[in-house]
Amino acid sequence: MRNNGCRICCRVLFFAAFLFLFSLPVKAEDDYSFDIAAFEPKPFEFGGYAEIKWEHMDLNKEGAFYGLNFYDDPRSTLDRFTGTMQLDGRYKKGIWTFNGLLNAAGRHDNNDWSDSLDVFEANLSLKPTPFATVDLGKKTFKWGKGYAWNPVGFIDRSKDPNDPEEAMEGYIGAGLDLIKSFDGSMQTIALTTVVLPVREDVNEDFGEKDHVNLAAKLYMLYLDTDIDFIIFTGNSRSTRYGIDFSRNLTTNFEIHGEFAYITDFKQNYLSETEELIPREGSVKRYLAGLRYLTESDITTIIEFYHNGAGFSESELGRFYQLVDDAYTDLQNTGSDALLQKAKNISGMGYAAPQAGRNYLYLKINQKDPFDILYFTPGLITILNLDDQSYSISPEILYTGFTNWELRMRLTVLNGGNHTEFEEKQNEDKLECRIRYHF
Amino acid sequence: MKKYITASLLFFWVVSSSAFAIDGNELLEKVDRNLQPESYEMYRKLINIEPDGSKKEYVLFTVKKGQDKMVALFLSPASEKGRATLRLGDNMWLYIPSVGKPIRITSLQSVVGGVFNNSDILRLDYSSEYDATILEETEESYVLACKAKTSSVAYDRLKMNVDKKTMVPVTIECHAASGMLIKTLYYKEIKDFGDGLVRPSVLETDSPLYKGYKSVMIYAKINKKELADEVFTLNYLPRVDELR
Repeated sequence: MRNNGCRICCRVLFFAAFLFLFSLPVKAEDDYSFDIAAFEPKPFEFGGYAEIKWEHMDLNKEGAFYGLNFYDDPRSTLDRFTGTMQLDGRYKKGIWTFNGLLNAAGRHDNNDWSDSLDVFEANLSLKPTPFATVDLGKKTFKWGKGYAWNPVGFIDRSKDPNDPEEAMEGYIGAGLDLIKSFDGSMQTIALTTVVLPVREDVNEDFGEKDHVNLAAKLYMLYLDTDIDFIIFTGNSRSTRYGIDFSRNLTTNFEIHGEFAYITDFKQNYLSETEELIPREGSVKRYLAGLRYLTESDITTIIEFYHNGAGFSESELGRFYQLVDDAYTDLQNTGSDALLQKAKNISGMGYAAPQAGRNYLYLKINQKDPFDILYFTPGLITILNLDDQSYSISPEILYTGFTNWELRMRLTVLNGGNHTEFEEKQNEDKLECRIRYHF
Repeated sequence: MKKYITASLLFFWVVSSSAFAIDGNELLEKVDRNLQPESYEMYRKLINIEPDGSKKEYVLFTVKKGQDKMVALFLSPASEKGRATLRLGDNMWLYIPSVGKPIRITSLQSVVGGVFNNSDILRLDYSSEYDATILEETEESYVLACKAKTSSVAYDRLKMNVDKKTMVPVTIECHAASGMLIKTLYYKEIKDFGDGLVRPSVLETDSPLYKGYKSVMIYAKINKKELADEVFTLNYLPRVDELR
């Protein structure tokens, strides 16, 4: 629920984003001079970006999620404009530092206007020595070595594999970070512990309320290999254990992996009789990946992800069939009761971005091809290995104007009947994004 | 008799070549110490110049400790601010604030585009990565042939022209194992940085692989600095700015 003040604030930020993007000239740099005084550290520093994004979506009228989201407003295309402003600031005094990260966005599509104002981070950090740091407040954690997915990210929010490098909202807690370096095979050991309470208005979306949770990560750099041991315990979510690693086999070839063991995982799934059945048990999630760079500066990232907590192909198929039945029911009887039931069930994991069990991720991009500096064409593919459906996203990125980032991306989804990507809301999506950093 | 002559010739060849090798390595160590203290903090500006003359600039704060520990933090432009790269021997990581965790990168990549790659930006002492022999000596200069100690070093061979008077490099040709010239570095504009450090303040580079492009590094401040080993760890990367 947003109050009027918040709404006005969002709109001001939305228009400020436009103002930034269209009023600032593309800066032309001058000579070899280097005025170091301009880079002296200051107690207060801030920065951020302003962005506008246009998305055109061709809707998939045969898709289950089109049926769920547009049954009362049928259309074949959807255009959406989004203005975003992100501000980060830091105030430092002695061994104390305050860090803040705000994100405001306003969206307008053919039907609606919506906006949001989120405090991604707001924390106080105490750094008495290089060996120890204490953090108090809201902070984003991104644990794990995977690029697209992080099975061991026990206190992370799920990231979007199509945009895994975007900032995300953190959780409120208290953390202690200890580091020790050594000579020899074991070069570094670091321990990060986080206390994460869940109460009314505090981390409510994390899990069950009125519990205090503990997460810890033990990192080591051993024989040139990054290794993490991770544990989460507390009653907001079930106890879970994880391990990850990352290592360069050669200077241009890196491998990484993650393994998570989640105890007492609870889930509702759709039975053959279209009834919701609860199940509980231990599940495993794991990921294996590599990153390879060729002499011509082509970077390839490949990851295999198994999500033991995902739905099987037949379970997903049953859900898509339920939506089909509900849609037919609506057309035949005019009743949307079954559709509402399907909508409720979709919120129990079936509508998650990757709701299945086994995926393959591929990202290829080439920096500066054809001697065009700051130009990066690329391709992202996510393949559901169980039902063979996929999304494919070619994109081009240009960063040649100082502080500007221009990106155009087309995403096409495909697959057979009742497969994950074939049942999504969109058939394809064209996205143009302009971002200005300040 | 023939045996003795052959053995003697072989002996002198081994002795003389090893003597050259020692001299070359000592010379390379001297070059390193004249370029920078073993542990220091430094500010640099990096400029990429395109064939049409347009430029893109980056400012980096760098700290180094001992033979194999180095961190570089981007201070400018705004789009790169807060990015930090860490090097521990052959291992390199890049930290991007929005990504929130360090990812492994390779020495051949370039986090800034242009002719400089990561190993140029996070360059350790030449003597820690290369064995050197003196190829040629003239009145004004030495020419050193440097061979990478391991295959993980970005350039397999260097041909380094060292000024005898200042004992700092003038030009360095960087070659791949195949012998292909990857780039040439030009050290220019000797400047007194204080505390006895007199060295080139500008490093230019061009490459036959990037015809018409040029990259320049300008050094503004190099100070000796004592640093804890823990500064050169993944957990510390998000906080490097606090060393300034």
